[in-house]
Amino acid sequence: MEPPSLAAKLAGLGAWPTSLCNYGDTHLQILVKKFDTNCRFRSVASRMEKDGFFNNEGNGMGIPPAWNSIFGMELESQVTEVNCSPEQIPNCFLNGNWDNTMDQSDPFESALSSIVSSPVNSHPGISIPGCKNVVLKELIGRLGIICNSGEISPQSCINNSTNTSCYNTPLNSPPKLNLSNMDHHQQIHGNSPIPRNHQLPPAPFPADPGFVERAARLSCFGMKEPEVHHMEESSLSEQISNGETGIKGQNTYSNGRKRKAVPKGKGKETQSSTLSAKDNKVEPEKEVSDAKRSKSDEEGNGIKKEEGNQKPTKENAKPSEPPKDYIHVRARRGEATDSHSLAERVRREKISERMKFLQDLVPGCNKVTGKAVMLDEIINYVQSLQRQVEFLSMKLATINPRMDMNTEGVLSKDTRASMVNTMNHLDALAQPFYAMAHDGPENPLTGMMHRGSNVKSSQIYGYGEAPVFWENDLQGVVQTGFNQNQGQSFHGPMGTGQMKVEL
Amino acid sequence: MQNSSQLKNEFIKKWVQGLHIYCSSKKEMNLLERKKKIKLSANIALAYAKNSTTCWSKAIISEAKREERNTILARNLSDPGSKFRCAYQKVTCHKRIRSKKILKKSCGVGKKMKKISELRRGSNLATCVAKRLVKKRTQVLKRLVPGGESMDEYSIIKEALDYILSLRVQVDVMKNLVDATTS
Repeated sequence: MEPPSLAAKLAGLGAWPTSLCNYGDTHLQILVKKFDTNCRFRSVASRMEKDGFFNNEGNGMGIPPAWNSIFGMELESQVTEVNCSPEQIPNCFLNGNWDNTMDQSDPFESALSSIVSSPVNSHPGISIPGCKNVVLKELIGRLGIICNSGEISPQSCINNSTNTSCYNTPLNSPPKLNLSNMDHHQQIHGNSPIPRNHQLPPAPFPADPGFVERAARLSCFGMKEPEVHHMEESSLSEQISNGETGIKGQNTYSNGRKRKAVPKGKGKETQSSTLSAKDNKVEPEKEVSDAKRSKSDEEGNGIKKEEGNQKPTKENAKPSEPPKDYIHVRARRGEATDSHSLAERVRREKISERMKFLQDLVPGCNKVTGKAVMLDEIINYVQSLQRQVEFLSMKLATINPRMDMNTEGVLSKDTRASMVNTMNHLDALAQPFYAMAHDGPENPLTGMMHRGSNVKSSQIYGYGEAPVFWENDLQGVVQTGFNQNQGQSFHGPMGTGQMKVEL
Repeated sequence: MQNSSQLKNEFIKKWVQGLHIYCSSKKEMNLLERKKKIKLSANIALAYAKNSTTCWSKAIISEAKREERNTILARNLSDPGSKFRCAYQKVTCHKRIRSKKILKKSCGVGKKMKKISELRRGSNLATCVAKRLVKKRTQVLKRLVPGGESMDEYSIIKEALDYILSLRVQVDVMKNLVDATTS
């Protein structure tokens, strides 16, 4: 298939599950689920055939002494203790190698998993009447295409994503301007979130085909609900413009946990070094957000700027300082100044601060503004990651202990330099999987190094008993009633030695 | 980057420990059980790798300890110091949930009146709709992140951030393992 059309179809396919789920049509959802489980099932099926029933095949080789010693050394060599405090996380995630999560050499699987992770969120207010049947037929057609074709080109997906981000530009133009102004303000004052943002890894997001898919899907999907986004963005832009028009110094005191700053005309801030969180936690982001808030005021107060500058630097130096007393909030011009709305504002800005971090973390979210959409993306991402874990654990559970490779082979297969350390551990990690596949009286640790000698014998009876085995186990796994397809997948050409996932 | 690789190492270490506990049990396990055990041990290992610094990890650990069949694994992996923390956390979580529900019920009426008066004042309907959307989504997110029900909107975002990072590590390790064993 030519790449453009395929990419278009993929993008289209990506859009379909979303829209389907929105319709709440159970039939459509079942279809999507079936596709999901069908592909997974096939991959499992291909692996299962290789497995056969090697569980009872014990090699009987006595490896324990050497292996145990190696393993023990492995464990001891791990001296580092991880104390990952939450404050450090925002600093480190920026350097996270998220682009390793989707293996470039396995685009099909990653793209498939991304397609498979259809969002189940309900987006209210979408009614596109009369389209259901068309959508259904289209989906069936596309499913057939996907299952039959074995190639998905990530590049075409990238091209597609940039083209289909159409809903962003018209809707986002007003907020974008204001936001850019705000960012500019912050940059002037050398705010600390900005250096954080600059530390973003240069790895381009589109390099990840799976998430490019989802970005394409999101943008396609976004077209369908312009009204909702528009409302949200208008409210956002409203808030931002309020913040930009100016400040009004207030000298009111709240009996709560907040104390407001004195007016700027007096040129003094009563106290700028005591900050507290609502829930009495200390986080540099909160103080930074507070500093940012004060800096977004139009009238530049020199003293206030300095104090604000000192704040984030001080807090960044000591992230584990004890919680302080008050958050200083400045009421903006045109806004109510009672304690409730100010507290609301503080909360909102804290949340938006967090959203920005999450935006950097979740791929494909750069163009998205608005809390609901951001949350949507986050939910999708978490769901897809969880499903990946499920899938991978299923895959690992079917690991064939008769693998004709030895531990040295595993180590030598390491192609990525960054994974050298982990490969040592992976070797240690792989052993228990082999061991787990064994049942029986023998010591599980002894029977793990299976050689190819077991292959043939197990394959002979593997085919015969495979159907029963699959029906019992995979019906539990495959949640939809998918019985008729179980027979079909047996006919796939499972090669002798290769356990590639066939889809 | 450094942090994530550290986390990875910790995770792998603990996961191997957990798997060995299962291996030594010498029980017959079919495919589904194996998968569940693998996933469970991976989750618990991830939670322990965090050293109970985050809420979701504590939630996973406390939930694992609560269930009978998983307690062995959980106990073996835990450090003795963190045991008390986990038990306490569970209790406080429940109490917090309950008190929040009571509070919501009592405040619900007040909020409705406030909303009505706001609408009368003419402040836009859009913000209400937007708030409702956000609230729905935060509810979904709370269900996704383990232990998320007891958190307010702000901290759930923070927890989700952390959880995403750890999930990535987990997926990464598992993928590498699968690649290593299949190629």
